[in-house]
Amino acid sequence: MTNDLLGLLVAIPLGSAVASVAMVGRPIHQRVLGMTSMLVMLGLALTWLVRIRDGQVMVSQMGGWRAPFGITLVFDSLSGLLLCAGLVVAIGCTVHGWSMVDPLTERRYFHPLVQLLMMGVNQSFLTGDLFNLFVSFEIVLMASYGLLSIGHTRQQMAQAYKYLLLNLVGSTVFVITAGLVYGMTGTLNIADLARMVAERSEAGVPLPTGFAGLSVLLLVVFGLKGAFFPLWFWLPDTYHTSPVPIAALFSGLLTKVGVYAVLRTFPLVFAVGDAREVVLPLLAVSAGFTMFLGVLGAVSQHRVRRILAIHVISQVGYMVFGISLMTAAGLAGALYYMIQHMMVKSSLFLCCGVMEYHAGSDDLDEIGGLARRHRWLATAFLVAALSLVGLPPLSGFFGKLVIIREGWTTHWWLSALGLATGALTLLSMLKIWTLAFWRPESALPAAGRQTIGRTGRLRGAHAGIAILVATALFVGLAAEPIYDIAFHAGQQLVDPTAYVEAVDPLRLDVAAGTGGDR
Amino acid sequence: MTTVLAACVAVFVTVSVYLMLSRELKSVAMGVFALGHGANLAILAMSGSPVLPGGGLRNPPILGAEHLVDALPQALILTAIVINFAVMGFLLSLLIVTARRTGTLNVDELAGEDRLTPGTGGDRR
Repeated sequence: MTNDLLGLLVAIPLGSAVASVAMVGRPIHQRVLGMTSMLVMLGLALTWLVRIRDGQVMVSQMGGWRAPFGITLVFDSLSGLLLCAGLVVAIGCTVHGWSMVDPLTERRYFHPLVQLLMMGVNQSFLTGDLFNLFVSFEIVLMASYGLLSIGHTRQQMAQAYKYLLLNLVGSTVFVITAGLVYGMTGTLNIADLARMVAERSEAGVPLPTGFAGLSVLLLVVFGLKGAFFPLWFWLPDTYHTSPVPIAALFSGLLTKVGVYAVLRTFPLVFAVGDAREVVLPLLAVSAGFTMFLGVLGAVSQHRVRRILAIHVISQVGYMVFGISLMTAAGLAGALYYMIQHMMVKSSLFLCCGVMEYHAGSDDLDEIGGLARRHRWLATAFLVAALSLVGLPPLSGFFGKLVIIREGWTTHWWLSALGLATGALTLLSMLKIWTLAFWRPESALPAAGRQTIGRTGRLRGAHAGIAILVATALFVGLAAEPIYDIAFHAGQQLVDPTAYVEAVDPLRLDVAAGTGGDR
Repeated sequence: MTTVLAACVAVFVTVSVYLMLSRELKSVAMGVFALGHGANLAILAMSGSPVLPGGGLRNPPILGAEHLVDALPQALILTAIVINFAVMGFLLSLLIVTARRTGTLNVDELAGEDRLTPGTGGDRR
């Protein structure tokens, strides 16, 4: 199915970012513009998602150049679900930012940078080309560097370097790998690569020497972005120092882009044939460590932000676990888990922002009594926290159920580790709940009591939390239709025929050596 | 030719790793520049004609291109150079701002100053 409007999802945020720069100093204009652009994009993405609910694939070839020469944008179940989820997260965080971002920051470059970030995120979900994926990673990173150093506090800048330099090295490795892939295969189009790899493994022709090495290189690159086991060290510090709406946006989007890249390229291209035996054990071991060590780190922390930041890592582990199974249900479970995690984790970060505002700190030793004073905040936090843990009617349950049940036959030890991680997640969430919400105010040190009743213009902050928590509830209560779409995505990843046929790259090998018929 | 290019890549990567291990952010930034150049050369070195499953060489996707070099890797390099340039611009301006604010670009000193003022990362304090 051709749909040449797909480019709009990249063009709209670019346009509104540029227009928003022209409106610097007029925050209300910027808000209206940013929100309109994101709502329009969400509307488009939802409409298209409904149109492809039976597993079709929408394709747009830029400028009418057929793949693999032109730039290909693909909108299938996988991209569609993630686009919608990403936009909802961005809307929630921006609305929250209306009251929680420092006004001086907001009236300048907050809104343009968020639009640019969305442009990069949308493009990386849509693109059907490895090099274009690199370009969109760079757009995401540039926007996030900007957002990260926006406040110019000393600590933020010191942390921004860690994030910036690590990601620069990661991107450079990505460029090198893309070059090597082109050198070995002559194409960077994901559909073309998928077809080549599938045909070779069917015909019994070995892949080029060193192809498995490329898989591992790419795993390192995406693992660095997605905070997989040995490469996660940049994450807790980065999320810990930035303003809350920005940390929430990052936790919902940035690591997910890395996980998405693995989800898109590995089942189709880089974990097929010989590479499979190399990559899958790596993914499985990494998943185990990511899940379990992540949650151990979170349990040991005593500041709400740090707990939440380190939890991002632990949750990424479940997604990697789902991917490492490489079955339709496992991949679908990973995708469903990603979607719910984007909502839940961002809303927890936003709750943390409001908690800090009221309690004056995020140190669990110093805060308490929030449940009595702020009932709705407590409710929202509890719903989000229990979704993260995975209590049955809430969204986390279904994702974990699918992944753990699917993994039981092949990697029972990983499933057991996943269950243990769930228990420890509950422990750390209950720690926040009992100390920050349930502890009586009278047990607080004097400093904490002064600000506890502080009220302010937090309407935007509450609305942002409400949007995300309501969506998280929806994802849990409407688990079946969403999982159905996710299952289509999983099937298409395991058997990419539909994807390849939709993109329909020209066959260059027919013309090999003859120079004609191209 | 490939050997020469490979040697150049090796030199660039070695220099960049050495620089990036420095404690001085200026040198680290220079190391990142060098790594970017190494990456571009690596793409160039890989841009020969790939061998197809059947054994034939795959020609560049240009009509009548028997005597031409495949232009696509060079387009990739050009894109990578532009992106690298933008990122470097940002990195250097961040370095300037940091140097003005803190008076130092040494990693240890930057980190040390954090330790004196814990918990200043919040946006509302």
